[in-house]
Amino acid sequence: MRALSRLALCGAAASLAMLGTTPPTRAAEPGLELPAYSHAYEPRTVDERGVWMEADEAERGLRDSPLRIREAGLEAYLREVLCREVGADRCAGVRIYAMEIPGFNASMMANGTMQVWSGLLLRSRSEAELAAVLGHEFAHFELRHSLTGFQQRRRATDAIAWIGLWGALANSDTSFTQNIIARGIYRYGREQETDADLLGLRYAASSGYPASTPAEVWKNLMAEEDASAAGRNQKSKQKYTAGYFDSHPTALNRSIYLAEAAAKMPAGGDARAREYRAAMAPYLPRFLAAQIKRNDFGGTEHILQSIAAASGWSPDLLFARAELYRTRGNPRDLQVAAQYYREARAAGYAGPELDRNLGLALLRNGQAEEGRQSLNAYLAAAPEAGDAKMIRALVAN
Amino acid sequence: MKRLLIGLSLGLAVVAPASANSLVTAGPRPHIAESRFSASPTDEWNRLSRKDGKNVEIWTRDGDQLNKVTFFGGIPSGKPLVREIDKKHQPLPKVAADMLITDIPVLLESTYRIQYAVTQMEVDSQEPATLSGHKAIRFTYRFAREDDGVRRRGEAIGAFVDGQLYLVTYEAPALYFFDKDVEKYRKLAATLAL
Repeated sequence: MRALSRLALCGAAASLAMLGTTPPTRAAEPGLELPAYSHAYEPRTVDERGVWMEADEAERGLRDSPLRIREAGLEAYLREVLCREVGADRCAGVRIYAMEIPGFNASMMANGTMQVWSGLLLRSRSEAELAAVLGHEFAHFELRHSLTGFQQRRRATDAIAWIGLWGALANSDTSFTQNIIARGIYRYGREQETDADLLGLRYAASSGYPASTPAEVWKNLMAEEDASAAGRNQKSKQKYTAGYFDSHPTALNRSIYLAEAAAKMPAGGDARAREYRAAMAPYLPRFLAAQIKRNDFGGTEHILQSIAAASGWSPDLLFARAELYRTRGNPRDLQVAAQYYREARAAGYAGPELDRNLGLALLRNGQAEEGRQSLNAYLAAAPEAGDAKMIRALVAN
Repeated sequence: MKRLLIGLSLGLAVVAPASANSLVTAGPRPHIAESRFSASPTDEWNRLSRKDGKNVEIWTRDGDQLNKVTFFGGIPSGKPLVREIDKKHQPLPKVAADMLITDIPVLLESTYRIQYAVTQMEVDSQEPATLSGHKAIRFTYRFAREDDGVRRRGEAIGAFVDGQLYLVTYEAPALYFFDKDVEKYRKLAATLAL
């Protein structure tokens, strides 16, 4: 199976080499060579045309989705980051869609459609971290993984079906052989991920972003998973070896091999954390609000701490922290929340919702008089708010 | 063997109606969502056999993707609104005895975001109301799920009665369907009693 998958990859690479491609314009250093790249690539085979047709259809849905973040500037900025990571010539054929989905993910389809989820934007602490994930996804695209993955799955499932039929005719149990083949599907997926990781690292190393960043991304994600588990009184379980049916290598494994490979590459330069913070500032409150509603106290606190460690506790971060504690809602949390609301105000948070939420925290904690004062301040600042009638009724009772 | 099969199929035939979708006729309807909730619909609804939780009941006219009334009947403190699909990795927020009435829309939103992959949700208006003589909150909202990306609107009324949460929601696609049936829901909601 492994030999088969290698063959498929070599085949894909060979077919790319025959397409009259332009030589790479960057990455001349040994060890950083990138695959040849062609502009306006058109699918060649019936399989590839099928994969592209499905991708085109999915892209239409994505383009018109209400979940797309349409504010001017965000998708353009993401493109800038991708272009800096993989080079201007390569990124020219990509369409990027920013989607409001709080998970940590980005993905790319065979036809050059990339989607980036808000959860990834929230968790990244610098352009380099975001670029590491975008570069990894671009590597899947460049290596034609959608196509080879599809072909490998079809081969394997065909084989499973035929062997099953043969077993039924011969009245013998073929489940062991079928299992071995099925396992190959997942192992093939993991091999693709590793290939994309290592090519992504080569992009990172030749982009000017630090080569050590891709490994950091996985370390930070593991830290969040651990914090999340601890917040739910569960054991953390980072593993080195992927399970039987895992489609990806484990985060621990990835962070280690990426760090080892990065150590052999040029160190790179600025991670552009300041530029990233500035670009994300308009979206941060919205992304944080969505994260807080996921009922993951430990994970969310980790995200807040990790952003604050890089940029300090901004008014938005303090407000979000207050919201996180108020949402958990134990008496001690309500007390801490009130304190963070006040710190957010002292730091310059000016939105009227601060008074409302502070008031609600105090009211729920039995501090009725203080709570009413805050709610009245909210009503004075936002008398026409959608919830003003309800808040007025709360104050009156 | 044959007799056993016949017996089994007869047994299934008797059991089937209880687990199938059923018609809700006009007239008084007690013990909705296995709770103190009752209503007197003036027209017909369909009750889905699907159970999202012990005290959850879903009514619809044309299918729950097009118009859906959900009754949450007396969810006690410490319990989530609906049954958790993944307690370990996606635990839902729980009803708490000390919650304020304004925490009801927040609880609904958080539950939807976690359980139903709702990635956009806005609560638009919140105003005081009464539910069978109890202090209640009436609120409206908009949301979109990750899987179908359809813009939906919702309207709900909820109250805490004896420390338990009673909540009724109406949801439908914002395009055409919400307006088509919202009055039918409001007529139904006006007959709610506890």
